[in-house]
Amino acid sequence: MRCSYGLTAIPGTDARFFSPETSFLQLRRTFQPTRIKFGSFKIKAKIDEARKEMSFYELLGISERGTSLEIKQAYKQLARKYHPDVSPPDRVEEYTERFIRVQEAYETLSDPRRRALYDKDLALGIHLAFSARRRYQYDEDLEDRSEWKNRWQSQLSELKRRSRNRDAGGNMSWGARMRRQREELSKEL
Amino acid sequence: MALCASSFPAIINWGAASDPQKSTPFASHFLGGSDLVLQPLKKLNQVKKRPGGAYASLSEGAEYHSQRPATPLLDTINYPIHMKNLSVKELKQLSEELRSDVVFNVSKTGGHLGSSLGVVELTVALHYVFNAPRDKILWDVGHQSYPHKILTGRRHKMHTMRQTNGLAGFTKRSESEYDCFGTGHSSTTISAGLGMAVGRDLKGERNHVVAVIGDGAMTAGQAYEAMNNAGYLDSDMIVILNDNKQVSLPTANLDGPIPPVGALSSALSRLQSNRPLRELREVAKGVTKQIGGPMHELAAKVDEYARGMISGSGSTLFEELGLYYIGPVDGHNIDDLVSILKEVKITKTTGPVLIHVVTEKGRGYPYAERAADKYHGVVKFDPATGKQFKGNSATQSYTTYFAEALIAEAEADKNIVAIHAAMGGGTGLNLFLRRFPQRCFDVGIAEQHAVTFAAGLACEGLKPFCAIYSSFMQRAYDQVVHDVDLQKLPVRFAMDRAGLVGADGPTHCGAFDVTFMACLPNMVVMAPSDEAELFHMVATAAAIDDRPSCFRYPRGNGIGVQLPPGKKGVPLEVGKGRVLIEGERVALLGYGSAVQSCLAAASLLESHGLRLTVADARFCKPLDHALIRKLAKSHEVLITVEEGSIGGFGSHVAQFLALDGLLDGKVKWRPLVLPDRYIDHGSPVDQLAEAGLTPSHIAATVFNVLEQKREALEVMSSRN
Repeated sequence: MRCSYGLTAIPGTDARFFSPETSFLQLRRTFQPTRIKFGSFKIKAKIDEARKEMSFYELLGISERGTSLEIKQAYKQLARKYHPDVSPPDRVEEYTERFIRVQEAYETLSDPRRRALYDKDLALGIHLAFSARRRYQYDEDLEDRSEWKNRWQSQLSELKRRSRNRDAGGNMSWGARMRRQREELSKEL
Repeated sequence: MALCASSFPAIINWGAASDPQKSTPFASHFLGGSDLVLQPLKKLNQVKKRPGGAYASLSEGAEYHSQRPATPLLDTINYPIHMKNLSVKELKQLSEELRSDVVFNVSKTGGHLGSSLGVVELTVALHYVFNAPRDKILWDVGHQSYPHKILTGRRHKMHTMRQTNGLAGFTKRSESEYDCFGTGHSSTTISAGLGMAVGRDLKGERNHVVAVIGDGAMTAGQAYEAMNNAGYLDSDMIVILNDNKQVSLPTANLDGPIPPVGALSSALSRLQSNRPLRELREVAKGVTKQIGGPMHELAAKVDEYARGMISGSGSTLFEELGLYYIGPVDGHNIDDLVSILKEVKITKTTGPVLIHVVTEKGRGYPYAERAADKYHGVVKFDPATGKQFKGNSATQSYTTYFAEALIAEAEADKNIVAIHAAMGGGTGLNLFLRRFPQRCFDVGIAEQHAVTFAAGLACEGLKPFCAIYSSFMQRAYDQVVHDVDLQKLPVRFAMDRAGLVGADGPTHCGAFDVTFMACLPNMVVMAPSDEAELFHMVATAAAIDDRPSCFRYPRGNGIGVQLPPGKKGVPLEVGKGRVLIEGERVALLGYGSAVQSCLAAASLLESHGLRLTVADARFCKPLDHALIRKLAKSHEVLITVEEGSIGGFGSHVAQFLALDGLLDGKVKWRPLVLPDRYIDHGSPVDQLAEAGLTPSHIAATVFNVLEQKREALEVMSSRN
C-alpha cells in the first residue's frame, strides 16, 4: 500500500494526487514516513479515532460499488428514519448524530469527485469523516496555498514594477492623462 | 493570546448573560463586553485542550447558542476607524466574533447567511486597510454586506434587518454613507465603481475605489462591459472577484450541489488549481533581469508572455480586458488579504487591478458548510442545531404551483422547454429540472441572453417558457421588444415575484411589468387571481403559439382553491374575464392578485349594505371589451385595482373607455395602482398598507367616490 500511493494515476481525481511533474517530487512523496502528507499529530489522532468507525458505505447499507441511485435511495430512507423531527423522543440525540453522519455520507458519495477521493482513502484503510477530511484537505490545501502565496507575491512585485513606468510620456490612456494632470496640479500648489 | 487560540465562541455558557432580545441595543453591548472580557479567560483556558484545537472556526458540535455570543473585541468597534490600531492577530479574533455575530443576528431575523459568512475576513481586511467612507467599497448584489453593516455603525440595528423601517437587506445609499452604491440586482458594481473612479479623477482626488463582485455575478455581461471599459480608461480601481464556485441560486438543486454553470467557472477553477511551473517563471524572471534597465517594454512583454503561459487561461482573460490579475488568494486568511490590499493600496498608478479571492460560502458555521445550498437565504433558525423555523402552510407557493403546472404541460407536449437565469430554486424550475433534465436550461445570471436564447428556440418550433422574476425582466427589456415581440415569436414569459415582495424591498419589487409588457403590440398579457387560474394560464400560454405571451404571479402562497384535476390546467379563452360577484352601483375590476383584495373589500362593504360587483379581468391585453362595456354601462362607479405602477392595467382600461365613448356618460372611473414612489422593504402586510392597496383602502375609495366620506374614514380607522 505504501508504494502504491502517489504513484498510481487515479482517473478523474484532482491533479494533486497524480503528479505529472518531475520524478524529484515523486521521490519526495515516498520518502515520507507516514506516506501521506501529515504535518501534525492531531490529524493522525483523528485518523486513529476514525478507523474504528463505519465507512460511509456501511453506514448507508450499500455495497462499495453502489450506483448513485442506490446511494440516493439509501440516504432518503435513512434520513426519513433518523430525522430529529420523527425520531423517538428518548433517542433524539443518538438519532440526530446518526442523521448528521448519514448526511455527510450522502454528500461525499453523491459528489463523484469527493467519492473518488473517499474511495481512495478507504482503499488505504482510512475513513475520514467529512470535516476531518476537510482538515486533512486543509493540509493539502496548505501546500496549494503556499503555491498561491508565491504566485501572488510575484504578481505584486510585477505590479509595482509596471506601475513605476505606467504613466511615462507615451501612455495616452485616459487614466494616465488624468493622473499626469493631477500630479502637475499638485506640483503647482 | 488565550482568547483566540481556543475554539471560539466555544462552549462558554453564559448563564448570566443579559437577555439578548430585549436588551437596549447599544449600551448593553458595550457593558456586556467589558465585564465579559475579564470573565472568559478562566473558562477559555479550560476548553483549550481540545484535540485539533487550532482549527477554531470548524467547530464540530453544536456550539452556538441562542443567546448573544460574547464578542469583546467587536463590542469596541462601531466604525471602521476603530479598527485601525488592531494587530493582525486581533483582526483574526475580530473575524471570529463578527462571524458569530452574523450567525446570531440572522438566526433571529432570517436573511442571507451563507454569503455573509464567506466574506467575513474580506470585509475585515477591506475596512482595516481602506478608509471608508472616503474610500469607496461597493458590494455587488449586496446580500453579503451583513458584516459590512455590522462594522459600519449599524450593529445595534441588526435585529431589524429586512423588517419594516429597519435595515435593508442590501446596500442602500440612503441608509448610511458607508453604503456608497445601492445594489440588489447583480453585476453592477464594476460599472458603478468605474464611474466613481473616473469621477474622482475628474475632481483630482485620491481616494480608492474597491468593487467586490462574486463569480456568479461575473457571468453577467455587464461585468465584462465594465471591465472592458475599465481596461480602456485605465483609471485606478480595484476589483475583488469573490470566487466560491457558486454560480446559481440556490447553490444546489433538489438532489445535491450543482456544478457551476458556464465555461467561466471552469476557467476560474483551472486558475485555482493550476500548479505553475515555477522553474519556468524563474527563467522568465531571469531573462527579464538580464535584459536590464532601458528595455522595459521588451521585458514587460516577456513577463506577460510567461504569465500567459503559466498562469492558466483564465487570468489572461482579465489581462486581455486590461485588468491586472492577482491571485488566487485564500479569502479566509487575513494575513494574506491584508498584505495584498496594503501593497496594492500604496502602489501608485496601478490602473485597474483584479484580485481573485477564493472563499467558501457558509464558512465557519458547520451547518451552512454542510448544507447543499450553503444556507444562502434562511428564515429564522436555531443556531445550535441549524434548524430553520419554517412555518406550516396549508397551501404551497405560487412558485411551486407554476413548476407543477409546467411539468404537467411538458408531460403532454414534448416541445415545451424551460429557461431561467441562475434562479432554479426561486423560479421553481429545479422541480422541472428533476423531471426533465434535458429540457431545462440555466444560463447563469444573463437575462438578456436568456430571452434571446428563448427566441432562438422558438424559431425552431419549440415552446420556451422563460421564468424570470418580474424585476429581473427589466434587464432584458430590449430583448423582449426587439428579439421576441417585434418578430412575434411565441416565447412565454412567466414572471414570478410580481407586485410587492416583502423583505427584499424595492430592488426586487415587480411593480412595472404590466406597464412594460402591455404596451408591446404583439404581447398577450394576463395575470391569475389564484393558483387554479395560474394552472389555467400556464396551459393558455402553452397553447398560444403564434405570438409572445406573459403572465405574472406574486410572491407568497396560494389562497386554497381547488386545483384542476391532474394538476393540468385548461386553456382559457384569450381576452375573456369573469365576474365573481354580481352586484350593483359599484364595480371592482381587479387584475391578478388584487382580485383577492377586491373580494375582501366587497365583504367589508356588505356590512354597510353595499353589494358590489367584483370581476376578474384575467387579461390586460387583449382586454375583455364586452365585460368592461357591460360594467361601465350598468354601474355608477368602476374601480380598477392592480398591484402595479401607473401605465398598466388601469391605464389600458381608461384608454379603452375613452375611445369607446364610455367616459362621456355618467360612469365614474377610478384607478387604484401602486403609488408613484418606491415602497421600502417590510412585511407584505405593511407594504400593502403603505401602498394603499389593502381591502380597507379599496373600501374607503368606494365610499369616497360615493360621497360618503364619513364611512370612508370609519373603514380606514377600523382596520387593524
